[in-house]
Amino acid sequence: MTKILLIVGARPNFMKMAPLYWEMVKAQDLEPLILHTGQHYDYAMSQAFFEDLELPEPHYFLGIGSGTHAEQTAKIMVEFENMLVKNRPDLVVVFGDVNSTLACSLTAKKRLIPVAHVEAGLRSFDETMPEEINRRVTDTVSDLLFTPSSDGDQNLMREGVENGRIHRVGNIMIDSLIAILARLDRDPRGGTLEPWGLEQGTYVLVTLHRPSNVDHPESLARVLTYLDRLSEKAPVVFPMHPRTRKNLETFGINASFRKTFRIVEPVRYGQFITLQRHARFVLTDSGGIQEETTFLGLPCLTLRPNTERPITITQGTNELVDMETIEAKSEMILAGRWKAGQVPELWDGKTAERIVKVIGGFESAKS
Amino acid sequence: MKVLSIVGARPQFIKAAVVSKRIREHGGQERLLHTGQHYDFNMSEVFFRELDLPEPSHYLGIGSGPHGQQTARMLAAIEDVLLQERPDVVIIYGDTNTTLAGALAPVKLHVPVAHVEAGLRSDNRRMPEEINRIVADHCADVLFCPTETAVRNLEKEGFTNVVHGGKLIAEELTSVGRMPAAPFVVNVGDVMLDIARQVQARLGADPDRVQHVLAGRGLKRHEYVLATIHRASNTDDPAPLRDILAAMQEIGRRGLKVFFPAHPRTKKALDRLGLLNGVDARVLAISEPVSYMEMIALESQARVILTDSGGVQKEAYFLGVPCVVARDETEWSELVDAGWNRLAGAQTARIVSAVEATLSEDFTNKERIAFYGDGHASSRIASLLTRWA
Repeated sequence: MTKILLIVGARPNFMKMAPLYWEMVKAQDLEPLILHTGQHYDYAMSQAFFEDLELPEPHYFLGIGSGTHAEQTAKIMVEFENMLVKNRPDLVVVFGDVNSTLACSLTAKKRLIPVAHVEAGLRSFDETMPEEINRRVTDTVSDLLFTPSSDGDQNLMREGVENGRIHRVGNIMIDSLIAILARLDRDPRGGTLEPWGLEQGTYVLVTLHRPSNVDHPESLARVLTYLDRLSEKAPVVFPMHPRTRKNLETFGINASFRKTFRIVEPVRYGQFITLQRHARFVLTDSGGIQEETTFLGLPCLTLRPNTERPITITQGTNELVDMETIEAKSEMILAGRWKAGQVPELWDGKTAERIVKVIGGFESAKS
Repeated sequence: MKVLSIVGARPQFIKAAVVSKRIREHGGQERLLHTGQHYDFNMSEVFFRELDLPEPSHYLGIGSGPHGQQTARMLAAIEDVLLQERPDVVIIYGDTNTTLAGALAPVKLHVPVAHVEAGLRSDNRRMPEEINRIVADHCADVLFCPTETAVRNLEKEGFTNVVHGGKLIAEELTSVGRMPAAPFVVNVGDVMLDIARQVQARLGADPDRVQHVLAGRGLKRHEYVLATIHRASNTDDPAPLRDILAAMQEIGRRGLKVFFPAHPRTKKALDRLGLLNGVDARVLAISEPVSYMEMIALESQARVILTDSGGVQKEAYFLGVPCVVARDETEWSELVDAGWNRLAGAQTARIVSAVEATLSEDFTNKERIAFYGDGHASSRIASLLTRWA
């Protein structure tokens, strides 16, 4: 049995790990084990996501918690190394671009354990984003680089990565999305907008969490004021990260908005997908949502100066906006003038299958 | 300009010493952070005195430990210092865990990082140093390369802002032009050559000192092999270390005495494996680590140097002493191509025959190409940083 450790630390990692876990369970010769670093840990949220993704409890939990970047990365490295010494896996698989991705790939590599990176090759070319550093460092140390699209391959080749390390397998988030859409369709209660009192195709879904948007009093106030105004034309729902909610108080932002602008608690995966699939459009600064909307063929506005997922713009339904252009672009969507977009190649729900195949080949080449 | 220099291991003290001096000459304010990665007395404090390096402003006292733990402890402690000092730029050196932590902590706080000795590659990703180098380079804003080979390595990894086509820039920076956007790559030459020149000058002015060093160790000019072994790949497993030690003894038995100042890690491994039992000191003399000046003196008078260290390979070249490298690859590949280095891995027979082959060749008038610049790397680094930061 080949022991494979799947590392997750934050919510976006869960959706990328789940399909791979199940595909590995199906493969007879692989033993997948889940390690949760606890980097973002809210028991209820974490538990709910694991439930929605039908995942078992993590096999290992490091209980790291929050801290500055260096503190958090450091704590993960120490605990993860202790764990590796006791239970050495044959392969470590890391996902995305969070601090757990960086800390665990470095630590495993230094102990000469091979590392695979799922969602490799993404670049925003914005070095001020901590995620960009995490991505670059993880890619430079990983043995197997699983890219979601050809731009990822090109970025890696430009960085001199040998061809043999790069495997274009498609977008694993889409595997999760396809699976949960099917489940929501099977269970009509799970997938309705009834509890929200919203109508299909009429409202705007908002998710904003990046420091550049929510950690500066002026930027946060400005975007909220706009959303409040927008909600006159189309109701706005904004499941807000607890940190952002705290910012509202800290910054003394008056949160008495129109009834049509609703700030709600964070929602679980299934609920979020339901809200997303039926929205008129989505305004976000998250990476994964740019991809989900492209798959769903749903207009998406990304409130960032750049994206590490350019294929969602060139092929999909995504556009970058800033506070100057956001209104005009929103109007365009509401007026029904938006590009149709297409689903990129290999975003087909079979990414986990392809990854397992590559890992099988890698493992047999080792022995 | 406020500079924070981060050092922790022997070669870094040496490099930082010359760069620090130039930074002060250029009016920069420099603070020194010592992680404590090498904490043995001979390995650190002696160097501070000999090299005129200012006392560290921050001593983290990290000490040894597994890679993850050591790096992690440094990372958190360096971040604290950065928040306190708020430097304009951080300088990191070489390829140790100190280098890695010294790159990762500032990059996340948006403090610019300058990497001295950037672009070196052994192309062996199982070496922890190789991981440290690659990560440090990919975090750095300014990449100071010692050679053109190093510049080319970085170009292959996608770095496009290369000053003066990767050729050694003029000392007065006339070949730099407008400062390029970060991250940029610049060939300033090798800081180690600056140091070697300075030390050679000091030893040259004091020939008695060299004689004294040799006499103290019972060695004679050109009648010994100097050996240094410290890499994890050679000391962590019993097989390579046993083989290398057997090679040293065989060389000694064939008539050329081997003098081997052992790194603390190597000494520990030798003790653990019981390899020191029965070693004939007339054939193979093992000592404690020696000071830097003493090391250069010993290197300069050796017939051949057997090493797995990167720095020693170059020091040997600067001094005109041929080298046998107890590794299968080197990040100083130009020395192999030029015939001054022989790669011998960690097998007894290969090492012995590489030493024999070296002995049979006359190196007296062999050409030495200026791969490493002109001995003024540190002043280029200081003036570039002053202009940039």
